[in-house]
Amino acid sequence: MGIKTKTGVYVCHCGSNIAATVDVEDVTTFAARLPHVKTARHYPYMCSDPGQGLIRQDIRDKGLNRIVVAACSPRIHENTFRRTLEEAGLNPYCLEMANIREQCSWVHGDRSGATAKARKTVAAAAARARLLEPLQQKEVPVEPAVLVLGGGIAGIQCALDVAGAGFTVYLVEKEPSIGGRMAQLDKTFPTLDCSACILTPRMVDAAAHPRIELLSYSCLEEVSGYAGNFSVRVRKKARYVDADRCTGCGDCARECRLAGRVPSSFDLGLGRRSAIYRPFPQAVPAHYTIDRQRCLFLTKGRCGDAPPCVQVCSPGAIDFEQRDEVVELKVGAIVVATGCDLFDPSRKPEYGYRDYNNVITAMELERLLSASGPTEGSVVLGEGEDASVPRDIAFIKCVGSRDKSAGSEHCSKVCCMYTAKLAHLLGEKVPGASIRVYYMDVRASGKGYEEFYDRVRREGVRYIRGSPSEIFQRGSRLVVKVEDTLASTPLEDEVDMVVLAVGLEARGDAGRIVDMLRLSRSADGFFLEAHPKLAPVDTAVDGIYLAGACQAPKDIPDTVAQAKAAAASALGLLSAGRIKVGAEVCVVNEETCRGCGYCVQICPYGAVELAFSERYSHETALVNEVLCKGCGACAAACFSGSMQQRSFRDEHILSQVAVLGSKGKGDQV
Amino acid sequence: MDLEKLRAAAGNVLSRDDIGYLIGWGVGSYGFRTAPLFLRDAGEVHRLTFSPLCGSNLAVFLTMEYDVAAPAKGAAAKERIAVMVKGCDSRAVVQQIVERGVDRERLFLVGCPCEGVVDPGKVEKKFPGTVEPVRAGWENGAVVFWTGGQKVTLPGEEVLSAGCLDCSHPNPVLADIMPCEEVKLRRLAAREDVSMFEQKSSADRWLYWKRIFNTCIRCYACRNACPLCYCSDCLLERLSPAWLFRSVNLSENAAFHLARAFHLAGRCVECGACERACPVEVPLMLLNRKLAREVYERYGFQPGLDPDSPPFQAAFRPDDSEEFIL
Repeated sequence: MGIKTKTGVYVCHCGSNIAATVDVEDVTTFAARLPHVKTARHYPYMCSDPGQGLIRQDIRDKGLNRIVVAACSPRIHENTFRRTLEEAGLNPYCLEMANIREQCSWVHGDRSGATAKARKTVAAAAARARLLEPLQQKEVPVEPAVLVLGGGIAGIQCALDVAGAGFTVYLVEKEPSIGGRMAQLDKTFPTLDCSACILTPRMVDAAAHPRIELLSYSCLEEVSGYAGNFSVRVRKKARYVDADRCTGCGDCARECRLAGRVPSSFDLGLGRRSAIYRPFPQAVPAHYTIDRQRCLFLTKGRCGDAPPCVQVCSPGAIDFEQRDEVVELKVGAIVVATGCDLFDPSRKPEYGYRDYNNVITAMELERLLSASGPTEGSVVLGEGEDASVPRDIAFIKCVGSRDKSAGSEHCSKVCCMYTAKLAHLLGEKVPGASIRVYYMDVRASGKGYEEFYDRVRREGVRYIRGSPSEIFQRGSRLVVKVEDTLASTPLEDEVDMVVLAVGLEARGDAGRIVDMLRLSRSADGFFLEAHPKLAPVDTAVDGIYLAGACQAPKDIPDTVAQAKAAAASALGLLSAGRIKVGAEVCVVNEETCRGCGYCVQICPYGAVELAFSERYSHETALVNEVLCKGCGACAAACFSGSMQQRSFRDEHILSQVAVLGSKGKGDQV
Repeated sequence: MDLEKLRAAAGNVLSRDDIGYLIGWGVGSYGFRTAPLFLRDAGEVHRLTFSPLCGSNLAVFLTMEYDVAAPAKGAAAKERIAVMVKGCDSRAVVQQIVERGVDRERLFLVGCPCEGVVDPGKVEKKFPGTVEPVRAGWENGAVVFWTGGQKVTLPGEEVLSAGCLDCSHPNPVLADIMPCEEVKLRRLAAREDVSMFEQKSSADRWLYWKRIFNTCIRCYACRNACPLCYCSDCLLERLSPAWLFRSVNLSENAAFHLARAFHLAGRCVECGACERACPVEVPLMLLNRKLAREVYERYGFQPGLDPDSPPFQAAFRPDDSEEFIL
């Protein structure tokens, strides 16, 4: 020891936040008399530069070696004041914050009681501060690679940006091709660019980029580690097609015994494919994949005398012996861009989506309108002789959005605009069509959005305010039962086709990602950002960022913007090259540790292991200081008190408890 | 219970090359007490005994053996220790295995089915001032004593430890050999002490414990008799930081008993050795059983049954009950 403790106590008014309820002058006078306190001051805003200046000045002039700041929660300003100490040449861990705002002035009304509590809180902090040890933060190198989860436009853009900056990217996509939702769209609002035309060059760029490793038809299995050093296991599902040999000629799909008999999930079941398939013609990678749930050879063990795909494949790419492969990757950052699901309209049975073939979703209409879709771009209902072109078409908006009864309160943001776009495209494809849109509100905030909405209305699309209560059949037509709420008129609108503008919702398997990455979700089920305004791309887990519709419903421009933001955040971490890890980690007293392993079991970060101790000739706990997050769970579990967390040792806490539990109203210590 | 069969089996065990020594119960030298016996020589098995007087839990000695705990990796195989275990004792060994206090490979368990052990307080009242060593046994569900040249038969309810009256595991749950026949589970009396106590007002409960903790002399006999209280350096005896002061008074005594009870939550196998060791009759099992019940009712966990189960206090399930968190 040797060095005498000289503590400085700094009481903050926080404007009137603290000073209106707590007598800060009284607390300061009281603190000045506490053991080992050399000086005590109060100031209106301790976090302001002059406030911090007081502390710096006293450290230099009075040789203070422990600082107590009585102000707000350490969550808010601990880092601020740690920096203050550092600037004055004091170890930043010689700081203790007494929270007299959130835990005192904000929760009490009685001035004398609050002042007494503030006194005790400060006294306890001073008692603890005396025992604090100077700590050093360790630095570890950052793995110069990023894992991007999801190969939609968000993931592709993010991967391109990170790779363009010179770092390796692993782009993981669960489907056989990257492209995501955007690949399914026909045109994009409000400019009516062909979705595929602007997307596919990016897909090709991503696949061809020397620093992007594309892991399509793959899923995340396990993640461990921490910001800068994540270890990731990815399962590359067997395609049963040798990617190096497959030329993408498509002979196999044409000859497949199930050709034209398997519903295509890319076309939402409207079109049909073979058991060996490529989701869409521009798929990247272009290799074919065998659907293991459908392929006769894989499900039944035989496919005629020999599988025709094997017979026709001249490069010999079909390989039924292929097995899933698990690859281990090391990355410094992870970007989650897993996208969203679409609301399933059968959850609103009154709209008859399951019952009537001519009630379709907006995404199904996208596929019908798409030149590469199942109808090659013509809007036709039914097949063969029943095929007809719809004339009267109704759109219903907010299906599964802003709807408490359907369990989704949020606005899906994109439906107003895609409805306007689809109405416009239908008008082009079906000349003379009569199109009406049933809506609650029209939300067209975005560059050029209002203008586009206006244009569509001028083209003759009728917007009728009202939420249809029911859709039923009358003859061969459908009736939309609705009240026009602007005219206060009940309507029964007879139409040929109803398009449901379904909302976006969190992925059904988002829970898996949450568990693996230790993320949180907001009430709507989407992944939760670290701060809704100031950290919208970050998550509560350092080194993991969000991009696109997995965080909230988003259109393409917003998604791309967020993807670029996520890339920039990841690059910030990677380009620093090194990352500081916490200093308030746990340490083991080997002498008393008997190696029971409770700490190993309880550590949520896998930071503790048992290792043979030469000195004590048995196993004792060993903490990996880089993995340790300083949560203290192991220290709480240890019976013998052998596991202690730096800055939160038993003596630190007991010294606080002793003061807080002492008699008197803070007037004695 | 055939004592000769048990001794013969113990002799066989001791003749084995891999067994170093055997821990058993020996005839005592005073009243109703037996003494732990450490035998290396198969010729000395006649000194072993097993009777209702064998109330101490011999598992307590396993963790004292320095290198039984946390075996060295790659260390040469060491001699095994044989130990006689009652049902409850075997549960303590299982719990020690779970928390890596002992190495199963180094143990050889001689299972001793048991029909209950006497409560020293109860027998002292029946036979006050007995100094000469007493012999005892079980006969047709009752307990017999040979003292002062006489045979006295008493029903179990009158002399057995309260915990033995509703014992759930009279036969060892883990044993390498079981020389004698298993005994039948019989519940002589349902134990209602915890639920009865819970019905009292909190003021009355505190009044009760105040009186009890005031009588405690902090001799640590309970801790030393407990097979699951075996840290080599007890947290509660450390001077820095001092969780407890050394003074024997209500505050420090209460803190000692509460800390010990919490350390045993989900670990205590309810053998009752602590209560039998207490010279001032502190009802220690009332605390331990209350916590055991909480653990069982909230988490469905019972310690000392499965050597492969994770330790209760270091395991959690996402759906664990947590309504007590404010």
